[in-house]
Parts: sequence; structure tokens; C-alpha cells
Amino acid sequence: MPRLLKQLGGEWQVCEATQANYLALPDWHPGEALEVGVDAEPTPTWLEASSIAVDFPAMTDGRGLSLAVLLRKRLGYTGELVARGNVHEDIVHFLARCGFDTIELANEARLDTALKWVNPHTGYYQCSVISDESALTRAS
Amino acid sequence: MYQYNEFDRNFVHQRVAHYRDQTERYLQGDLSEDEFLQLRLRNGLYVQRLAPMLRVAIPYGTLSSQQLSALASISRDFDRGYGHLSTRQNMQFNWPALEDVPDILQALADVNMHAIQTSGSCIRNVTTDQFAGAAADETIDPRPFCELLRQWSTSHPEFEWLPRKFKIAVTGAAYDRAAIGVHDIGMRISGSSDHPDEAVVDIYAGGGLGRTPVLGALIRKSLPIRHLLTYTEAIMRVYNRYGRRDNKYKARIKILVRALTAEGFKTQVDEEWAAIDQEQGAVPLSELRRLSAFFAPPTFTELDDAHALLGDQRLENPAFNRWMKHNVSPHRAKGYAVVTLSTKTVGTPPGDVSAEQMDAVAAWASEFGFGEIRIAHEQNFVLPHIPQRKLHELWQQAQSMGLGHCNAGLISDMICCPGGDYCSLANAKSLPVAEAIQRRFADYDFQHDLGELDLNISGCMNACGHHHVGHIGILGVDKKGQEFYQISLGGHAGHSGEGPRLGQIIGPSVPRAEVCDVIEKVLQVFLGLRFESETFLSCFNRIGIQPFKESIYAKAA
Repeated sequence: MPRLLKQLGGEWQVCEATQANYLALPDWHPGEALEVGVDAEPTPTWLEASSIAVDFPAMTDGRGLSLAVLLRKRLGYTGELVARGNVHEDIVHFLARCGFDTIELANEARLDTALKWVNPHTGYYQCSVISDESALTRAS
Repeated sequence: MYQYNEFDRNFVHQRVAHYRDQTERYLQGDLSEDEFLQLRLRNGLYVQRLAPMLRVAIPYGTLSSQQLSALASISRDFDRGYGHLSTRQNMQFNWPALEDVPDILQALADVNMHAIQTSGSCIRNVTTDQFAGAAADETIDPRPFCELLRQWSTSHPEFEWLPRKFKIAVTGAAYDRAAIGVHDIGMRISGSSDHPDEAVVDIYAGGGLGRTPVLGALIRKSLPIRHLLTYTEAIMRVYNRYGRRDNKYKARIKILVRALTAEGFKTQVDEEWAAIDQEQGAVPLSELRRLSAFFAPPTFTELDDAHALLGDQRLENPAFNRWMKHNVSPHRAKGYAVVTLSTKTVGTPPGDVSAEQMDAVAAWASEFGFGEIRIAHEQNFVLPHIPQRKLHELWQQAQSMGLGHCNAGLISDMICCPGGDYCSLANAKSLPVAEAIQRRFADYDFQHDLGELDLNISGCMNACGHHHVGHIGILGVDKKGQEFYQISLGGHAGHSGEGPRLGQIIGPSVPRAEVCDVIEKVLQVFLGLRFESETFLSCFNRIGIQPFKESIYAKAA
């Protein structure tokens, strides 16, 4: 059974993956799990997905981060958001702060490292999808 | 200066811990070369031709005596006893061992410094006017806004993995010493430092040098300062999503702006900005005032201008007189001056400074100048607050340490990248060219007669030496495995209050042995056609490129 990193009850854990059948556009229908590329343009119909997975073509491709922010903040998507593809254990904290709550690594053997560094800082300079606190709000 | 609080200190120390673990995993073989590359770049570490190079961030070019002394110690303990001032106001170490870098970063963190985002495809160190907070022509101190941007861009969750590197420059003065027109984003802030919350900002986007030099377009005029971060967020999001990632030579924001047109890009950014919650993301005005308080002017002693004393000292000593003329700039406070300590001298690569020189500059800053030091993008040290009556004493000490050269703004005060001697990107060496030019025109009388002249050298198209905006620009190119140099004239970085301008290429490139001769011909044309004390740039503006072309390529025709 493949394993992944998942946030459950506010805590990140290593879990076994559920075997959802993700469909890409245009085959996807509301109610089903949707898989999109990092260059997809989000639309309100996605809110009806049972889960959304974003496929990262490379460790260095930050488009999926902006896509997650748009899904969470602009569309108000609250369901499961999965990062998959070329996902590296050292960028998990960026993914988490942009709203991904499920992370499949390119190299599953490194899940423990990912878990260790899922939150390398006790605080961040900016607000994010998951926190309204920033260096600015803290200081004032 | 900005003072770290507990949050900042924790942040940099936690970053070191993460990087130490990454380095260990790499050395154990758990991270591949390519994976580690991306991680080390975002912590300032390049692997260059001869050794790794570590680029330390000097946020907006400002540092304290204590921090500069720490850099001197690092250069002794981990390098070869010297450092290099970069054209982006940072300091680079050319010989660190990869396995020592976590310890170097720890030593930096101990004095509230870091190397975060000094390389890699992310938002780099924000640069500004090296005379900020001291310049007589400044309307508002840009540093509080630079610090705001530094904090906001540090480990930003969404914008750490951009299509390409991203450089922001900010100015608050009439005379743009930050070259905002040739940055990915340039910001011109207007207002008053007494009311930073009422400031407004003009935003330029899509400027840059490199292989496709472009001047930034004004995309937002008079934006209220509280919207600075949300508007920047809108620009970054449009770039992050739509900037090209298929070809690294077409990945800078300037290519996107050109593809969409400035107007189209602006429309897209404005649409994005309209969709952002601008109130939630607004900079709290109390926070702007808090940040501004860190940059309040030091408590200047009430001094009179030392005209009489300086007049006597200048008459007595012609070398001091020349230094005063070129290396000392007006200060806004009576009785004070801004001093540029030039690193440019024959036989030393431009910007290279020894540990002893760093310690000396740190000591002078403590003794004479409120413990504050700046690094100029022209690769010199600046002491921003020096009492006029101490100038002569400082100059004497600077001379004894090889930092008293009276050439700021002259031909020998050239900007030069490390080039093919160190950099693995370079097509040609730049340092030997710089040295040959410095030797050829070493005579100070001749240099002073030429007057203000920016000569900028880059060893490749990446333009780290800013050759496009030199009054004389020199670019190293590779011609069938041979090093050649292309020369351009008439560029400038926007210093004179007008927008910046890119230089025009005079003709076919020349081999290294001929570069000095070509420069000499250029100067002879200028000296022959100039009116009285006309500067090179004014003369070029009047006569154009043709007379230079005719002189240089006459024989070939």
C-alpha cells in the first residue's frame, strides 16, 4: 500500500493512501476526485470534487503553490487537496502553508524526513492560507 | 538600523538547522546533486569553477560595525582572509568548503545575518540607495519599506519557486542610485519619513539587464503605501503562474511583460489585485511607523559646516582635495558628510576587500560614524554619517589601509563581475580587463580630467557587471572558443534624474589585447570633441555614437 503524509486533526502523520480514482479534465464529473496540472485555471465547479490532486512536474515548479492558494482563498475550497508528482521532502512546509493537506512524495522512502521538516520554523514572516499570524501582526 | 527581535533570531537559527540537516543528507548521499542544488542555492551557496561561493545577504546594503567585523572573522576562519562586495550590495566568499557552510551560516545567525534567498529562482535581497537616510536629495528613507519587503519575501510560501530569479530595488531620492529601471520590480517611494504611512509608491515592472536588456514599465502610479505588499503579491502571482518555465533565457518577468505588453501585464496584475483581500493584506500603519522608527536618524551632534577647516586642509593637500571632490557627498545634517571608501585600485579585483580592511572600516564606523556601514552597488564601502571635521583624519587612516583612493565615479572606479576567473557562467575573463584598464589610465590627473565616467564590465550576457548601463560598457563574449569583448557607449543607470538608458554597441567585438586601445580611442574622441568640462555622458548625448565608430573602425573600412 503506498504511503503519504496527511494532516489529521491539525497533526501531520504518515498514513496509507486511500485508493481514490482521480480523473483529469475533461473526463471528471462533480462528485469524483479530480487531478489537475499546475497550469490549470480553477473554476467554481471544482468545489464539487471529492478530492483535488495537483500534479507537480518538477520540484522547482511553484505554479502549484499559487494554484493551491487560489483554490483555498479565492474559491473557498475546503476539501482534500493533494500534492503529487515531483514533490520533494524539503518543500513540504511551503505546500502546507499554501493549503495542501495531503502530500505524496516523489520518493516515498523519505516520508520520515518530510515529517521531520514539515514545519521547520516556529513562526513565519507572512500570513498564509493556514495562519493569520505574521511578523507584522505579531509585532503590533 | 533594523534590530532583530526574538522572532527574527529564531527564524535564522531554525533556517540554519534545516540547512545543516540538508547538507548532512547530501554528504551521506541521501540527496542527489540536483536536489541539493536547489536547496543550497536558496541558502546562498553556488558551486563555481574553482570552489563553492557563498553569497551573504546584506539587506539593502546596510550593516553594523559588529556585523562587518563578524564577516572579517568568517573570512579568516573559513575562507582566505578576504571577501568580495557584489553589485547587489552583498558580500561573497570565494573559497568556503561546502561542509563548513552550516557553521558559517551559524556564525552569521549569531550576528543577525543570513544568506537566505541570495541565489536561486526566488525573491532576492532587496537593494536600495547606498546613501539612504543620509543623502541630501532624499525625500523619504526607503529602508523601512525595504525591510518590510525583506520580511514579507523571506520564505514566502507561494513565491519561493519562481520561473527565475527576482530582483526588487527601491529608491526614495531624486537621483536614483538604486537603478530601479533595470530591476524586475522597481519602486520609487515619495513622501516624508516623518509620515511613512502617508507615502505613495510608483511601481515599475519588467526591467532587467542580462541577455535581453529592458527598461521597466511604470505599471502603477502613486499606490498608497499600505497596499505595497498586496500589489506586490499580485505581480508575483501573475509572474509565478504565467512566466515561462520552458526556457531559462526567457523566464524573467521582462519576457512576460513584453509578451503581454506593459499595458496587458498591468491589466492582468490589476485584475489579480482587485481579487485579493486588500484590507486584510494591508500593511498596518502602526507597523510602518514601528519599522520606520528603527531607521530614525542617529542623534547628530549640532555641528556647523566645517568649510574653513576643510578649505585649509584641501589647500594644504591636493590628494585630500581630490578625495573630497570625488568621494565625499553632501549630507542632510549640517556638519556631516557621506564618505565613499573606494576598493578600486590597480592589482586588486574591484570589490575585493581583505579581513584587515573590513576590521578597519568597522572600527572607523564605530569611531566616527555611529557604527553604520553601507555597501554600494558600485562595490565600494560607504560610511554614511561622518562629521566633516573628522574627514581628514578618516582619509589618512583610509589611505594607510588602501581604501583612500580618490576615484569614486571616475574611470578606475569600475563595476566588474568576478568573470571567468571564478564564475562558471562566464564566457570571458573580466578581472584582467579591469586591471589592464586601471593600469593604462592609472594617472589620476588624466582620470580627473575625464571627470565622471562609469565603466562597467561583465564577463557574460548575464550582465552581473551591469555593462548595459555603463557610460562605457564592456561585455565578454565567446567567439569560437576565443575571448572577445563587445563595447557599448552611452548607457546610464538613471543617476541623473532621468530614466535609465541602455548603451549602444559601437561595432564588432575585439580581442582582449585590443580592449585598452579601443577605450583609449573612445576617450580621445571625447576629449577632442567635449566642450570645456562637459561629462562623457553629456558629450555622448550631444555628438552621438558616430564619431566614436568612425575613429575606432576607420582603418578597417
